[in-house]
Amino acid sequence: MKEEGLSSRAWISRIIVILIFAVLALRLGYIQLVDNRYDELSRGNYLRNVILYPPRGEIYDRNGELLAQNRLCYDVTIVRKDMPKHGFDTTRVSELVGMSREALVKKIKQSPYRRESRLTRYPITVEQKLLLDEMNIGGFYTSQRTVRQYPRKIGGNLLGSINEVTKAKIEKDDSYSVGDYIGMEGLELAYENVLRGEKGLVLQDIYASQAERNTILKEPVAGKSIVCTIDAELQQLAEELMQDKVGAVVAIEPSTGEILTMVSSPTFNPDELVIGRERGNNYAKEINNPRMPLWNRAVKSRYPPGSTFKLVTGLIGLQEGVLRPHYTYSCHKGYHIGGEHIGCHEHSSPLALHYAIATSCNAYFCYVFRNILENKREYEIAKDGFEAWRDYVLSFGFGRKLESDFLGEGSGYVPTREFYDKLFRKSWNALSILSLSIGQGELGCTPLQMANLAAIVANRGYYYIPHIVREVEGQDSLDTRFYQKQYTKVDSKYFDPIVEGMWRGVNRDGTCQGAHLKGLDVCGKTGTAQNSKGEDHSTFISFAPRNNPKIAIAVYVEHGGFGAEMAVPIASLIEEKYLTDTITRPYLVEYVKSRKIAYPMYKPKQKKR
Amino acid sequence: MEYRQARKESLFGSVDRVALLLYLLLVAVGVVAVFSASWVEDSEDFFSFSHNYIKQFVWLGISFVVGVVIMLLDRSLWHKIAYFLYAAAILALLATLLFGRTVNGAKAWFEFGPIRLQTMEFAKIAIALATARLMSEFSFSISSFRSLVKVALLLLVPLVITYLQNDTGSGLVLCSFIFMLYREGLNRWLCVPLIFIAALFLLSFLFSPTVLLIALILVFTISASVANRVWRHGVIYLASLFGASTLLFLILNAIPMVSIDFYVVLISTALLSMIGVCIYAYRARLRNLYIMVLLFVVSVMITPTSNAVFNVLKPHQQNRIKTFLGITDDASLNYNVRQSKIAIGSGGFFGKGYLQGSHIRYGLVPEKHTDFIFCTIGEEFGFVGAFVVLALMMAFIMRLMRMGDNQRETFGRVYCYIVASILLFHTLINVGMTIGVVPVMGIPLPLISYGGSSLLAFSIMIFIAFAFDAQTTRELPTYSRL
Repeated sequence: MKEEGLSSRAWISRIIVILIFAVLALRLGYIQLVDNRYDELSRGNYLRNVILYPPRGEIYDRNGELLAQNRLCYDVTIVRKDMPKHGFDTTRVSELVGMSREALVKKIKQSPYRRESRLTRYPITVEQKLLLDEMNIGGFYTSQRTVRQYPRKIGGNLLGSINEVTKAKIEKDDSYSVGDYIGMEGLELAYENVLRGEKGLVLQDIYASQAERNTILKEPVAGKSIVCTIDAELQQLAEELMQDKVGAVVAIEPSTGEILTMVSSPTFNPDELVIGRERGNNYAKEINNPRMPLWNRAVKSRYPPGSTFKLVTGLIGLQEGVLRPHYTYSCHKGYHIGGEHIGCHEHSSPLALHYAIATSCNAYFCYVFRNILENKREYEIAKDGFEAWRDYVLSFGFGRKLESDFLGEGSGYVPTREFYDKLFRKSWNALSILSLSIGQGELGCTPLQMANLAAIVANRGYYYIPHIVREVEGQDSLDTRFYQKQYTKVDSKYFDPIVEGMWRGVNRDGTCQGAHLKGLDVCGKTGTAQNSKGEDHSTFISFAPRNNPKIAIAVYVEHGGFGAEMAVPIASLIEEKYLTDTITRPYLVEYVKSRKIAYPMYKPKQKKR
Repeated sequence: MEYRQARKESLFGSVDRVALLLYLLLVAVGVVAVFSASWVEDSEDFFSFSHNYIKQFVWLGISFVVGVVIMLLDRSLWHKIAYFLYAAAILALLATLLFGRTVNGAKAWFEFGPIRLQTMEFAKIAIALATARLMSEFSFSISSFRSLVKVALLLLVPLVITYLQNDTGSGLVLCSFIFMLYREGLNRWLCVPLIFIAALFLLSFLFSPTVLLIALILVFTISASVANRVWRHGVIYLASLFGASTLLFLILNAIPMVSIDFYVVLISTALLSMIGVCIYAYRARLRNLYIMVLLFVVSVMITPTSNAVFNVLKPHQQNRIKTFLGITDDASLNYNVRQSKIAIGSGGFFGKGYLQGSHIRYGLVPEKHTDFIFCTIGEEFGFVGAFVVLALMMAFIMRLMRMGDNQRETFGRVYCYIVASILLFHTLINVGMTIGVVPVMGIPLPLISYGGSSLLAFSIMIFIAFAFDAQTTRELPTYSRL
């Protein structure tokens, strides 16, 4: 080129061209070399992160029977960008996913354009998924996950339920993210960390061929299964027997502390609360039920223990030395002193400890209670005696949580000295709180604590912390606390007369002869807890056989009348079922089932204090 | 001055080999890129005519044949038939407007069986020839007002038709002629306001009318003063204008019950002053001032009613401009540019490899084989590839400019510069829009984008320039007019 001849215009023209190209090249260099934002965006455009949800650990009963298993289901997600431009059969889709057409259209319209979002809060079934796949609509994706299914449909409160994790929980625990499921109550909550497993992650190249589409970044780890201590057969029987009654049944294996049965009645069908379209409605139904099926009475309710507590009073008396088994007291239809009056039923008098337990004499234990508190050799005033008494009671597991593995355990209530100071304005003595002796008054304990008392007596002085899980997959042992004997402050030698009394109550001349089982040496103690709200609560604690006990049980039926009326037959049937695996008294089953207790019952009842 | 060696008297012997090589390289890049953009992995019939790359190949063959024919024709032919071609082109554009086929919203296509032609692509050649002929007329003077109006009319007619066709993008190519006009000696201080008015379309959204008006006044006054070397008068004019309007503004606002905008005052004063300016121009015999006044009045009319002018544009054009300016952040409007930037940006230095560009493969970039073909290059060949393509294009444009400078006659020189201008404009807009420097306008990347009519039209246009160049040197040893 002969540049020397070029006019200045020609030169400037060339410079303009070079400048224009320089701008383009600089901009090109910037977005290609300097700004690496686009590279990441590029990946995000066609790569899809798919969460692989692990199957939740299954729950087996002590005999290896499935209590909770997994059912395959699919989450439906949508990406508006990929949806067909000309529309699709929204009516059919709305039917498939179970929402109204208007809701579906609205949902799609509001969904983000490019990002994946969930269509429904609940998953769809395999059948629905297949039908949806058949329609082959762009922009609809399904991802596999599992929900619960309950083959036996028992143990609603025991097993608990699962729901989507709440926002508050996600904020607290970053191992959860939106859309995860989490155990809400019962076992599912208590063993959430074991059952949940670990989520996996797959990088899906949505345009790649089928064979090379998925890159697994992290394999999901299935939740560990657990074997719980529940006996499904027993649980089912107990639930059946407790039908139409309000109350709880807890059975424990005394030699291990394993909970064999834990029924809170009324219960609910756990299948109804499985995540799905109907969960919300069902949940509302249960929560509005005045009988409160979702309230786990077995571990939460504070019931007056009634006469069953006389065992504790007797044991403390023996340990304190203020009672000997041969001490006799007289009872004439109750204990009368000053203004205090505690009634009793008719029985022969005077009577010694064995018979007092067997026949459940109120007066006898009032004497014992006063002797404990007013033991001048030990305690200056009754209030000190009360504190000593309270320590004993707490050692039996009352008034505090038992530290079971079952969450949501209530602590019951054993009143404190301060409580009475406040209540009586500091002037009170043994007589003021005499009703504690027979398990009335301010005392409150959970059915679990009562069953634990039965286990303590069965073990003659100690218990293992009651627990619900026997074995966790991949773990050699449970927490060490479940293997340690928890001793009460009463020596084991003092238990024999009490056991003798309980044995007589069932097998000789006591209140609970209905619990007699031939050759099984059942021991038991009834309770009839008075309450201000209506008919007495019927309760019964028992263990069998007398030597080397296999089962300890507490039954509590609200407003069930006398202990012998409702609680005894239920406990007896459960013991028989567990110990012999047969039911020899079908008529008794029919009798129990036929009893329906209206609740709440507001029949006015005279207070008998 | 030097003699240029006469080349061999064969058909391609005297052609500018470098330019021809660059042309071949560019069309080769085009074929490679179109193949990548339209290749489907598991396609069964590789050579099926339904494939874009096969079609492109066929069009390339046709282009070569036509190119050879053009090389054989005498260059004087184009001078003779330039106006006829222009008339024919206008008729064809009108016919398209009436009977054409609508593609992507633009009624700018003629369809003959499987072949679809965009009329404007070919009309450009005629317009270029006609402009070259007009500007090479003996009576034409670049500094004459009358001559410039003629050129403006020549360009305005097809521009209006393309606007009616809803294909303003193609029509705006004619704006690039300003580059050629500059080369031909158009007063540079006329160029500045012209470019400024073009920018006004975009800027009117970003600034308040008052700011724009002040900017306009300043630009025009400074341009006029510099062009005519009358600095003092410019300064006096500015001072008196602003002084008068400020005074007027203050006085008017001092009157109770009257509240008036400074903008209104300024614009009235400025328009009134135009009378004075015209009188001054007549007295001082500064004829270019009339053009300035005309442009200024037009611009002022644009500014306050920028929305009204803007509304003349079709909604999709408005949206593109708005998107470019960041006024709207509607993701779907931004989608094309965003995807295109992502595709190019993810290419990195060496690119993802041929046929490996995930964005292109997965159809995320729209129009990936036509208007957004540069994405394919940027993603698969990275910065290196894109840079090489830009460099080739620049070299080719420079070569065309060199051809123009070598022409002995104005006709050939203007024509070559027009071709260079058109290529420059296409490249700037096309590449610019893929990397987000200019708003999206649907115009192809010359010689590279898929599209038979575009490739053929550009080839014809380029080969005519080649023929001018080859025949200039073949006729006789000439003084190279650089």
